[in-house]
Amino acid sequence: MNEERVVLSALYADRIASLHESKIAMNDVKRRLNRVHDSDDWGFVVFEDFHYEPPKFRESGELYGGLEIAKALRKWLHDMPPYVHKDSALGGAWVDIIQNHLRIGLRPEDDVSPEIRACWAKYNTSPGFMGMNHCGPDMQIGLDLGWGGLLAKIRHYRAKLSPADTSFYDMEEETVLGIQTYVENVAAEAERMAGLETDENAKKNLLEIAAMNRYLVSAPPRTMREACQFLAHFQSVDRTYFSGGALSQLDELLRPYYEKDVRAGILSDEEAVWYLASLFFNDTHYSQIAGLIPDGSRDMTSRLSFLILDALHYLHIPINVALRVSDKVNPTLLRRSLEYTLEDGSGVDYSCNVGVEEGYARNGYPIELGRLRAKVGCNWVALPGIEYPLQDVTRCNMAMAFQEALKDMQETKNFDLEYLFERTCHHIRIIVDSIKAGYDKHYEAVGKYRPELVLNLFMHGPIERGLNASQGVDIVDFNIDGIALATVADSFGALEQRIVREKRMSFEEFFEIMNRNYEGREDVRLMMANIKRFGSPDSPSEKWALRLRDFYVKTCKESGTPKHNLPIIPGMFSHGDIYIHGRKLKATPNGRRDYEPISHSNEPDPGFARGIDTFSPTLKSNAVALAAPGYGNSAPLHLDIDTEMLEKAGGIDALAALIHTHNHMGGTLINLNCLSRKVLLEAHADPSTHPDLVVRVTGYSAFFSSLTREYRQQVVDRFLSRENR
Amino acid sequence: MEKATVFNIQRFSIYDGPGIRTSVFLKGCNLRCLWCHNPESISPQRQLGFYPEKCIGCGNCFRACPEGAHIAAPDGHTIDRTKCVSCGKCANDCFAEALTMLGEETTSEEVVRAVLTDRGYYERSGGGVTFTGGECMLKPDFIRECAALLSAEGISVAVDTAGNVPFESFEKVLPYADLFLYDVKAADPDLHRRLTGVGNERILENLKRLASLGKRLIVRYPFIPPYNDGEAEAIASLLAPLPVELVEIMPYHHLGEGKYRPLGMENRAAEARVPSDDALEAAVTAFAHRGIPARRT
Repeated sequence: MNEERVVLSALYADRIASLHESKIAMNDVKRRLNRVHDSDDWGFVVFEDFHYEPPKFRESGELYGGLEIAKALRKWLHDMPPYVHKDSALGGAWVDIIQNHLRIGLRPEDDVSPEIRACWAKYNTSPGFMGMNHCGPDMQIGLDLGWGGLLAKIRHYRAKLSPADTSFYDMEEETVLGIQTYVENVAAEAERMAGLETDENAKKNLLEIAAMNRYLVSAPPRTMREACQFLAHFQSVDRTYFSGGALSQLDELLRPYYEKDVRAGILSDEEAVWYLASLFFNDTHYSQIAGLIPDGSRDMTSRLSFLILDALHYLHIPINVALRVSDKVNPTLLRRSLEYTLEDGSGVDYSCNVGVEEGYARNGYPIELGRLRAKVGCNWVALPGIEYPLQDVTRCNMAMAFQEALKDMQETKNFDLEYLFERTCHHIRIIVDSIKAGYDKHYEAVGKYRPELVLNLFMHGPIERGLNASQGVDIVDFNIDGIALATVADSFGALEQRIVREKRMSFEEFFEIMNRNYEGREDVRLMMANIKRFGSPDSPSEKWALRLRDFYVKTCKESGTPKHNLPIIPGMFSHGDIYIHGRKLKATPNGRRDYEPISHSNEPDPGFARGIDTFSPTLKSNAVALAAPGYGNSAPLHLDIDTEMLEKAGGIDALAALIHTHNHMGGTLINLNCLSRKVLLEAHADPSTHPDLVVRVTGYSAFFSSLTREYRQQVVDRFLSRENR
Repeated sequence: MEKATVFNIQRFSIYDGPGIRTSVFLKGCNLRCLWCHNPESISPQRQLGFYPEKCIGCGNCFRACPEGAHIAAPDGHTIDRTKCVSCGKCANDCFAEALTMLGEETTSEEVVRAVLTDRGYYERSGGGVTFTGGECMLKPDFIRECAALLSAEGISVAVDTAGNVPFESFEKVLPYADLFLYDVKAADPDLHRRLTGVGNERILENLKRLASLGKRLIVRYPFIPPYNDGEAEAIASLLAPLPVELVEIMPYHHLGEGKYRPLGMENRAAEARVPSDDALEAAVTAFAHRGIPARRT
């Protein structure tokens, strides 16, 4: 296999540089219009004059049912301005999430009970109810059929099953017809631009885009460029319809087209890199490269995997590609990815096969199935086309449970840590049970109110069975993400050390101070904060973290949803929302003040190391792997390392060994930034000084300049430098 | 069981030998290098570090100190080091961590247990554990016990030393140490004495004996303008006959400068400066001309 870096000729280097510059300029516009909020770029293009008027089905303006939404989507796809960049190999872009322009109703009989809603409010729970888009499509379905084939498939199964209510098929038909209109509009726009273009190369490119899109309105792609164009249109429509963001195993999807085109002599590697860069310019959908084939006998790395890394490097904008690590991963591919991360500051993230695949098998699924579970979301994985996992939409805030337990302790004056732990578990169980109950309602109702109009087309089952993906795929296994593990564990650790063991003060005296948000008692706050925290070797907090993890996992796993007995898989992921989830949380015994952020996922808090043990990436890696839920859903590790620390020869090898070891310890995902302290601090102080600085925030990458100060701060806090070695 | 005062266990260390290593820093040194960047390593005893910028003025330390070593001065809180006996009582009550005790008395078993948590990283990177300091070879029995336990676990052990100890100390650890990181700070004995307080005769003799035993040797040359940056040629000449695997030229950096004041110590290397790239490259070339692989760190 050719593993060399592609060296671009001037034509393609210029085209990709032009895409990079355009993205920077677009980000400036988005920042000016306040259209970016702590998310990645997402690839949308701003048309300030675009106005959309949704179809009106009733006086209230509300929409009920998938068919009404599909009609609104079809009108949107007809109305939205087509976008073509003359230096891209592909046409199209999305302009906004249609959800922002629709009012979708929910009938009371399909809502959860007021008691459940009150419970969610009390514990500040993100319940996942009516969440969507969080499953992984099998894009091979679309590449094989094209839009025309998908339309024929819908009509075929509508006729075959002949259901009494055809609205499911009708809405899918509306969706595809809308997409075909959009593709035609892109073709027309490319033709229009070609007519105005004076540069011969650009004109030729625009005419190629036009012809390609005319063909793809109904026919399936034949070449790699057409396949990329099909995927780009999927990305744009998937985003438009409620901000979906999942592709799948990108190198394997495109490999047959690449190899066929190369054999036919119609494709060079630099053209392939340009196509891929154009696809990444179009959107930041999540995809994976490398990974084991189902029988585990070999890694899937191909030439395409290397070309994807090259495209990512040359384009250098937020891109969400994960590299699946296993013992058999191509070492050159892993090394190349790290070289690019060191050059660019961020790059791919690393999905770990032991935690993801073997962990998934612990749920009772075959390991061969686990190996197919691709990293297709910010922090999450899914079986492309056959699983409805709904990851990353729930948050069980264990710190809110702990807050209630603290109230119980103070009310009963039962100042015993075992009692506090028992009450914390009691409240965690209430949260988990409420999410499970919500999932039953979700399972029954989401297809009526928020059907997977786009993703249904790329799943195995929905079209064949006439059911929304939530009911129509073979595997439904709902995720629940626990958060704030370290906040709670360190609180227990601080109470154990300072109040119980050292007897610095009584519980009552301490609670009086904590309940006043440590006002005037900074000494006490620091006394509780500055203990050996979770992540430090032999810390008391670690014992509590593991007990909490064990209880949380058991509670999630011991029963399915109460009505439909749908299985639950626990994860621990907070996204970047540690500030949002701290905003309803009063001061905690770990020295955290009122409403300050919670800890991230199951990670130790920044600054956790104490005494002779100073911070190191391995300490953090050990702690995250140790406290992982262990059933295949994510508990990511964030590493932000000073580039200077790795400049020595062997730095890349050390990172590779770190990744492999975290994998072997049962880790699930590693989000890596290698940054210069100077650049990071300059950009934090004034984002405009480094407009093209790209960082991996959690599982997603973003322009640093498009993050709010709070989000930038968490990257800075995580940052490891020589000074804290 | 042997004990030593450890002041830092640094994991994911990629500067002290091959692969990912854990560096175990022992207190106590018998050299007094002008530029020492780990002044906390010089005394073999636990020491009180004072970081006034973290002080919140709670007064706990005044109440805790049985010696009356904490003094409220007009320009802030100071410590009378002549009274301080390093008992650690003030640091124990200083929750702001303005006062911290540097160094913990640690058994060999405790150290081995601590470093084994990173075994996987060593195995996958060709790394291991490096004992350093200070002068870790002042505690040869401790090193021997640790290294024996680690060797039994299949973990590679490196010893980072300035070599100013009786060779009998080396003999104690030789069966278990795979690699020596050996400092050579100057070739000229007088210069060496001026820079470090001791001559280099025993250091160079030990180096030759280690080399004759076939041990893996990486020589480390701290490159500190204006003190010893002129020594490259002479050190290269000394090393030319020896089977040295690599010379690491370690440029001066400023990271140690902030460590003196918290210890109540004087930084005597006021003239030390970070070398230029050209000077470092010239030093690398000096070794290369004699056929000795060298690189700057």
